Amino acid sequence: MITAERKPLEELIEYIKPFKRLLLVGCNECVTVCAAGGRKEVGLLASGLHMAMLKSGTNIEIHEHTLERQCDPEYIDELVPMIDSVDAVMSMACGCGVQEIARRFKGKPVFPAVNTKFMGASERQGVWSERCQGCGDCLLGKTGGVCPIARCAKQLMNGPCGGSTGGHCEIGEDVDCAWALIWERLKELGQEDRFVEITPAKDWRPGGGAGPRKIIREDLAE
Amino acid sequence: MENFEPVIVAFCCHYCAYTAADMAGSQRLAYPANVKIIRVPCSSKVDALHLVKAFEKGADGVYVAGCLEGDCHFKNGNMRAARLVESVQKYLEEIGIERERLEMVMMSAGMGYRFAQVATEMTEKIRKLGPSSIHVALVGRESTLQPAGII
Amino acid sequence: MQNKQQQQSDKVLVIGGGMGGIRTALDLAEAEKKVILVDKAYAIGGLMTQLDRTFPTNNCDLCTLSPGLSEGSRQEYIELLTMTSVKDVKGKKGNFTVSLETAPRYINLDKCTACGECHKKFPECVRFTPGLDHRAPTCMRYPQATPQAFSIDLAKCTDVEALMKSCPAGAINPDDMGRKREVTCGSIVFSPGGALFDPSYLDYLGYAAQADVVTSLEYERILSASGPTMGQLVRPSNGKKPKRVAWIQCIGSRGLQKGAGKHCSSACCMFALKEAIVTKERFQDDIETTIFYMDMRTMGKDYELYYLRAKNEFGVRFVRSRPHSILRENGAENLTLTYSSEESGANQTEEFDMVVLSTGFRVADDVKELAGKLGLELNAGSFPKTDAFNPVATSVPGIYVAGVIQAPKDIPETMVQASAAACMAGNDLGVVEKVEHEKELLPLETGVVGEEPRVGVFICDCGENIGAVVDAAALAEFAKTLPHVALAELKGHGCSRESMQQIQQAIKDEKLNRVVIGGCSPRTHEVKFQEVIRKAGLNKYLVEIANIRDQATWVHANNPAKATEKAKDLVRMAVGSVVRSQPLADHSLPMNKNVLVVGGGVTGMTTALQLADQGLKVYLAEKSAQLGGVAVKIRKTLEKGDVQAFVKDLVARTEAHANIQVIPRALIVDHSGMPGMFKTGMQTGKQMFYRQIEHGVTILATGAKPNRPAQYLLGESAAVSTQLDLQNFLEEQPEAVKSWDNVVMIQCVGSRTADNPNCSRICCQTAVKNALRIRELNPDARIFVLYRDMRTYGFQEEYYQKARELGVIFTRYSLDNPPRVEATGDMVDVTFTDLILGRTLTVSADHLCLSTGMVADEDSNNELAMIFKLPRTADGYFLEDHVKLRPVDLQVPGFFVAGTAHAPKLISESVAQALAVASRARTMLAKDSINLGARAARVDKNSCAACLICVRSCPFAIPFINADGYSEIDPAKCHGCGMCASACPAKAIQLMQFEDDRILAKLEELFERNFA
Repeated sequence: MITAERKPLEELIEYIKPFKRLLLVGCNECVTVCAAGGRKEVGLLASGLHMAMLKSGTNIEIHEHTLERQCDPEYIDELVPMIDSVDAVMSMACGCGVQEIARRFKGKPVFPAVNTKFMGASERQGVWSERCQGCGDCLLGKTGGVCPIARCAKQLMNGPCGGSTGGHCEIGEDVDCAWALIWERLKELGQEDRFVEITPAKDWRPGGGAGPRKIIREDLAE
Repeated sequence: MENFEPVIVAFCCHYCAYTAADMAGSQRLAYPANVKIIRVPCSSKVDALHLVKAFEKGADGVYVAGCLEGDCHFKNGNMRAARLVESVQKYLEEIGIERERLEMVMMSAGMGYRFAQVATEMTEKIRKLGPSSIHVALVGRESTLQPAGII
Repeated sequence: MQNKQQQQSDKVLVIGGGMGGIRTALDLAEAEKKVILVDKAYAIGGLMTQLDRTFPTNNCDLCTLSPGLSEGSRQEYIELLTMTSVKDVKGKKGNFTVSLETAPRYINLDKCTACGECHKKFPECVRFTPGLDHRAPTCMRYPQATPQAFSIDLAKCTDVEALMKSCPAGAINPDDMGRKREVTCGSIVFSPGGALFDPSYLDYLGYAAQADVVTSLEYERILSASGPTMGQLVRPSNGKKPKRVAWIQCIGSRGLQKGAGKHCSSACCMFALKEAIVTKERFQDDIETTIFYMDMRTMGKDYELYYLRAKNEFGVRFVRSRPHSILRENGAENLTLTYSSEESGANQTEEFDMVVLSTGFRVADDVKELAGKLGLELNAGSFPKTDAFNPVATSVPGIYVAGVIQAPKDIPETMVQASAAACMAGNDLGVVEKVEHEKELLPLETGVVGEEPRVGVFICDCGENIGAVVDAAALAEFAKTLPHVALAELKGHGCSRESMQQIQQAIKDEKLNRVVIGGCSPRTHEVKFQEVIRKAGLNKYLVEIANIRDQATWVHANNPAKATEKAKDLVRMAVGSVVRSQPLADHSLPMNKNVLVVGGGVTGMTTALQLADQGLKVYLAEKSAQLGGVAVKIRKTLEKGDVQAFVKDLVARTEAHANIQVIPRALIVDHSGMPGMFKTGMQTGKQMFYRQIEHGVTILATGAKPNRPAQYLLGESAAVSTQLDLQNFLEEQPEAVKSWDNVVMIQCVGSRTADNPNCSRICCQTAVKNALRIRELNPDARIFVLYRDMRTYGFQEEYYQKARELGVIFTRYSLDNPPRVEATGDMVDVTFTDLILGRTLTVSADHLCLSTGMVADEDSNNELAMIFKLPRTADGYFLEDHVKLRPVDLQVPGFFVAGTAHAPKLISESVAQALAVASRARTMLAKDSINLGARAARVDKNSCAACLICVRSCPFAIPFINADGYSEIDPAKCHGCGMCASACPAKAIQLMQFEDDRILAKLEELFERNFA
């Protein structure tokens, strides 16, 4: 899932200061699951913004709405009846949602309420960590199911580096060394020999190096 | 804001704090009338939204009252509530509301005196802090519309 | 065999409809056994209906009692016969034939609606007067009477025709002849209650001559909101408010006056404390209260704290003295009380406006006569003799006693005995085949979904409890102004039968679809009002209670204006919340009928045997290797009952019983589940194997520990022992005792002190018991008992007096001047001040015995309280649900407590509680399913993001993501804490009854006032 975290209130207040009526839009997908932009967070942020504005002497009107998914135009259509009664929109979805709303409502300023962080997994309740960077050329099949792109600080293709000690990355005790994990995993699989195979330099083009990416499914595309 | 009478909301768990409040009643332990109780089955039922909304509506103080550590009827609801209160305190600070206006307290069902004591202390503390800035803003706003603003 | 079965009656006859009789009848009925409840009065309730408030909670009784009463008359298993007396009893256990005679009421109970028209027009003929004559409390009945009907005194009626016409219902029947009938029953519970001593003939007390000398019950009536003065405290002589009130204890008790019983009446000290506290509460420094007493006998659970509060917080004055006389000088307004105080010894006089005589209990003459008809053996005071170890068993098999008739006592003990008697009497019926009864037909529920809310608000005045602080009528007027409120009314006592019927009628007449009660705590009354509205055709979850008593009038009595504002807030919040309430359905599960008894002492074994005899499977978990508990160390009771033989017999029966599984060396380690389906894990045996037991109820009979504080050379000198050690020594080495010259006993060692403020209850009688035994062994020994208050309550008083007669020297000491001890060789020198001689004495004692009492087993109780989530008192005993009315039920449903785990008590008292919990447990186990209520989490599948946060946060692992991809929560398994609902990031989970919109509505309404 795509993870995100709410921006500091101060930053958000700067965005909305000029406006009297705001539409705050949540998303019931990834950001709900990572507790950053679901129905509940929308409510909390609306209250917080309202109060912060009140303190500065402005009574902002905030409408709350949470969409099934903000990255699909059909869902965004739900906002049509509301859009005229507001001066601006703030999205609690990932960057995709923010942009989709911006694209749909041309005359309305749209602001992000969250910082979109990474594609990650939930380790346990309340803890998410990065797992994938969308490099466009997955090599997990060679690395025992542990991604060195997303999980190695240096994105080494042939690790580990000299900073790996006791299974940890040199950037912090709480960060596992991806290459140590890969080694453990390959050992478990009895594929230690893979570890000595040299992976050639990575082609970063499918990962965005060649500009914005697009997928077209011809059987579906209209 | 002369003669400031704070409005304080106490979310009380049914098994301990609410029972303690009843106990304070049957023992006729006087405490300030500023505290209004909302009963919940467990302190962990209290949602961040309830706490934030209370302040948004103008509460000067809010506290969540659960069972003593280890006494929760639902294993660890009180400890969860305590963590929640802590995180909402941070959010309140971000908004510009003093964190002291929100508290977590714990008491057992038999502690009528403790209920009265907490209610008194909380009221005194909030009285010293003065009305919450939201409270002030709301009154200011209303009084421009309605000159006979209450309080 | 066939024949025998036919002969065995399947009913229990309960004689006396006071609190005890009602409890017995309710317990039996809830255990699905048939009961005939007879009372000679025209409404049930007994003495308690005349009390204004009861100690130690100072609650209004009508409110706590009347729900029980209406429950009592409704139960399908109870046949209630009022105005009925027992004329004759024949037969024996299993098959008694009883002749009953019902006096004419002259009112057809089926027709009477208690509208009060007859009473309004012909007050002299109608027995419904809340007596105006303070001298005649017996004719006072309270407005919440059961049955809800009047009674006519035809002899006083001059125009019967006109009286009949006054009744709109045509219920008056002057030709009523009463009725005689014979009933059969398998067992009888005799609970006629006690009469109060009449001090009229004691001229030195001035009761007959002085209007301002009243009995404690009359004073109670004067304080009562439904009493002759409507709750105004005024002097009967001149209608003015008294400034100085005195109580005189032990009137008619402890053999003090001519005609007085030899026993201690046990309840009067607390009764006087309560009256003094209530008086002080109401008038604070405006009134002086003084109690003249001999020994302050506050030996009940936490009663000592109540005494300390009276003294220290309320400033009630205590004078240890027996006043000589109460006189009024000619022409004087005030009464003059003459007494000599302990300090000076000289006669003193003091003036009072009112004097209250704390009159004790006795057995009424007609009750004595009835006891004769039942064939009961009586003691010298005309109380029925009971078994040494079973205080409810009389000399006649199949006949049981409960309450004051067994011995003078207070309400909690009466409730315990009432349940105990229900247990014994119920067992005599044998295992009754379950009959399917027609359920009371409830009206169909009115559909309310989508309807505009129409709220009815009912504000209780609750007597003084609410009405004295806030203007309840004005509050009702205020409620009328709230949105959606269709009707708002004031109710005297919303919980009375009459009010409940009015509420039901209003729901129908006004088409109400939501109800708010402004009254007391939902903890105690929500269920009651849910039933009320359900019977009027509404779903039971459409009611909300605003707790304006416990949260406003009781705690803000010092500021009526603020109390009123707060009461308004609470009512407005409740209305805001109830309009958002929705009809809900209860969930239920099958009941596990096995029982876990924790603790294998006398109490645990007694309970286990009773339940096992009823065919229930009992697991008896004992933490030590053997059954028996502390009782195995005790030889004899005060009455010389053989404890060893008793315990031996219990152990043998328990071990042999096919339905009891004894689990020795059991250490409880975990617990889960809910009432009716608990799971408790324990480590057992020497190897500490883990095993888990599934059971429906849990009974705690874990006992207490003998206290051994390191005081007065205990453990240092061989000449110093505890009473427990001494009683063994007396039996083991009687020869040694014969050489003793001086023995000293010190009472209250480790009890009634700052670190353990409560009384251990048993030590005074133990000291008397051991002193008498020493006297037997060595008539020449001098025995000194150094005490603070001798608390030989009930019939123990006679042994205390006997000890005094036999020359045991009782000397009082005070806490600020305790005895001092010094070891001198094998002896101990005890130095103390004799208050009467005014001198310090030193006794060189051969033996010093300390009355150390009991303490809660802190480690074990703490552990169990944590595992079972049970509240405890400050001194570590388990805290019952209601100290007055539910003394053995714990706050967590399905849990019960008995014996010394509840508070220190005698073996016979522990047995009574053991029987009582067996009865209480059976009321639960009689049911085949458990109602789980409706408070469960509900998922809106359309909003659910399947994020797993609920799955991970539930403390009981109930939610799961189902095959359709959303969270599912089984309402039958959900415990209803709401943790998932608050954690859900999609706001897809709501906890029924505590939905977010209802909580937010409360906030909305609360702040409406301030910012609207």
